[in-house]
Amino acid sequence: MIELSHVSKRFGDEAAVDDISLQVPKGKFCALVGTSGCGKSTTLRMINRLIEHSEGDIILDGQAIDAYDPVKLRRRIGYVIQHTGLFPHWTVARNIGLVPRLLKWSATDVQYRVAELMHLLGLPVDEFGHKYPHQLSGGQAQRVGVARALAADPDILLMDEPFGALDPITREKLQDELAKLQARLHKTVVFVTHDMDEALKLADHLVVMRKGQIVQQGSPLALLQNPSDPFVESMLGGLERGLKQAALTRVKDHMTSMGPTLPAQSRIPGVFSLRQALSMMLRDHCDRLTVVDQHDMPVGELSLRRIIKEAQLDNGNTRE
Amino acid sequence: MTLMDALPTPRLRWEGRHPNIVLVSFSCIMLAAFWVFDVVSMAPNRIVLGTGHGALEAFGWPGALLVTLLLACIGILAWQPSHRHYRALLAAVVFIMALMPVGLMASSYLLIDPELPQARLGIGAAYWLVLFVLLLCLVELRLRLNLTRIWPTLLLCGVALVWWLCAAFGLGALALVQEFRARDQQFLSAVGQHIKLVSIAVSVSIVLGLALAMLMRRYARLQKGAFAVLNFLQTIPSLALFGLLLAPLAWLAANVPFLGQLGVSGIGTTPALIALIAYSLLPIVRNTYTALEQVSPDTLEAAKGMGMRAGQRFWQVRLPLALPVLLEGVRITTVQAVGLTAVAALIGAGGLGTFIFQGLGQAAMDMVLLGALPILMMALVVDAGLGALAEALRPGGTR
Repeated sequence: MIELSHVSKRFGDEAAVDDISLQVPKGKFCALVGTSGCGKSTTLRMINRLIEHSEGDIILDGQAIDAYDPVKLRRRIGYVIQHTGLFPHWTVARNIGLVPRLLKWSATDVQYRVAELMHLLGLPVDEFGHKYPHQLSGGQAQRVGVARALAADPDILLMDEPFGALDPITREKLQDELAKLQARLHKTVVFVTHDMDEALKLADHLVVMRKGQIVQQGSPLALLQNPSDPFVESMLGGLERGLKQAALTRVKDHMTSMGPTLPAQSRIPGVFSLRQALSMMLRDHCDRLTVVDQHDMPVGELSLRRIIKEAQLDNGNTRE
Repeated sequence: MTLMDALPTPRLRWEGRHPNIVLVSFSCIMLAAFWVFDVVSMAPNRIVLGTGHGALEAFGWPGALLVTLLLACIGILAWQPSHRHYRALLAAVVFIMALMPVGLMASSYLLIDPELPQARLGIGAAYWLVLFVLLLCLVELRLRLNLTRIWPTLLLCGVALVWWLCAAFGLGALALVQEFRARDQQFLSAVGQHIKLVSIAVSVSIVLGLALAMLMRRYARLQKGAFAVLNFLQTIPSLALFGLLLAPLAWLAANVPFLGQLGVSGIGTTPALIALIAYSLLPIVRNTYTALEQVSPDTLEAAKGMGMRAGQRFWQVRLPLALPVLLEGVRITTVQAVGLTAVAALIGAGGLGTFIFQGLGQAAMDMVLLGALPILMMALVVDAGLGALAEALRPGGTR
């Protein structure tokens, strides 16, 4: 559990972060989104005391962070940065084992943990353990960065634009892997990004920041349905907003039972999003899809009319 | 499929290869030097100026022909170079260098009159020029063959061994050897003194330089001032610095008995060491400072964020990553100090410079060489050795 209440950071007269309050419950994924210079990175770095906050309280598991020794505090918080920050003179295995070694784990424990993490992140130890960071691709290097952050099994993970320097395909792959990892590990994550799609895809709690202040926070769906001002709306993609919202809703939550008419030709798995359903309708020139389960058995159907009606209903509900 | 497709495409043997202009012109320069300038000179005794002898007189026509062929061979091999040719070229260059003392033996046999025990053979302009250009060839070949620095050094050590053996057993008539034989004890102690001066000066300036660089990182204000002073020191001509130290140190020695007992005096080792250290500080401090500052901020930020303490960050991250550039500074400094120490002989600090200045005073060029050649070799060895060390210490084997 991370709690920020009325936190500010001033550099001279300039307020980089201005009176922000936010809570990240244990096991939740919180994304800070905003344009560059909005104070999102500063906020993140105040949590592990790389930057000391000027005012307000930052509370970690019920204790103010000022009460911790900064070094010990950082050792129990995983930290991932954009350009990986891997040590170029150390092998991958040694890089990953850094924090456990700082915590004076025994050599065998470290070795075992490194192997476990490399397996978890799809980097076979035999192939990658002895390599140096410059021998890795961008995606592999950032996997090592994530493994290093997870090494001492911290409850909290801070990620500062971890995928910002990767090509779109690698980025998407790593986002998917991170989502899967989070579903298994349930870390308390604070994730900084300027990529709204990335935030919408990963976050449980979305915080939009501008000029050091929080403009709006809430669940991704809530923000999409009801952006509080034009800035948040433009961050959320303006006209694309409808599609982004559709991307967050699963087909099987909106399907209807099979009607009396002939089943539609096009089939879509229930776990897909409404956005993918819409795309399929456009591609196949139809307004009805047959929803199937993982065994490709029809379980329901979804019509264009239904999608539009649901969207109306959702947005109406939140407005009330 | 037509018949034409079935036929193998005729491939030109030298397709896509261009002459290596550098090596070809080197070959031409060496050939010209060999035939135009004096290969050796011969003097009946130490005082008389020697008379020069060209290629034919020095080696006889079979020898001159052999040398011409060998030198031309470099140009021919470099005309259409392949990887194999470059290797052959490397072998040829090393072979010629190893053959050079044998050539001197041949000309001493041809030219020196056994009736004149004082007669001496001098190495002529052509010889030096060819040797110099061969070394340049070696540099070019090292780059072409992508060899690490240590290889040419090892080859040159082999060549030096051949020269040494020839000088010891068959080149008694060579003026350089005669100069050496006349003062071999003095020579050895001069080499020892030279090495001693250089190593003390360099190790003291490494310690001082590291400390100064650390202080500069801590106190930003110190940085400008210190660099200004060090830069200023560097601009004082070495001779002047030695001279400037003379008066204050003599005064100190006379008035502070403790320092006098320690061996401080206006001339000799102390002022020499002070001047050498003053010159050595700038390259060391500059390289140490930049080396420590150029470590990627991302890496250091990560180290801090992972929970490394300041000391751990310095010893485990910053210093190892700075080491190659830092060592580069040590290399530059040592090479510079090897040369500068020669000047220190002027104020009675000893070392190989003694021979240079004595030789200059007596107009005995061979004696100058007796001092200059070992200095040159020392500088080359230091350069190659520390260079190879810096290369080996690059982070994560990045070459």
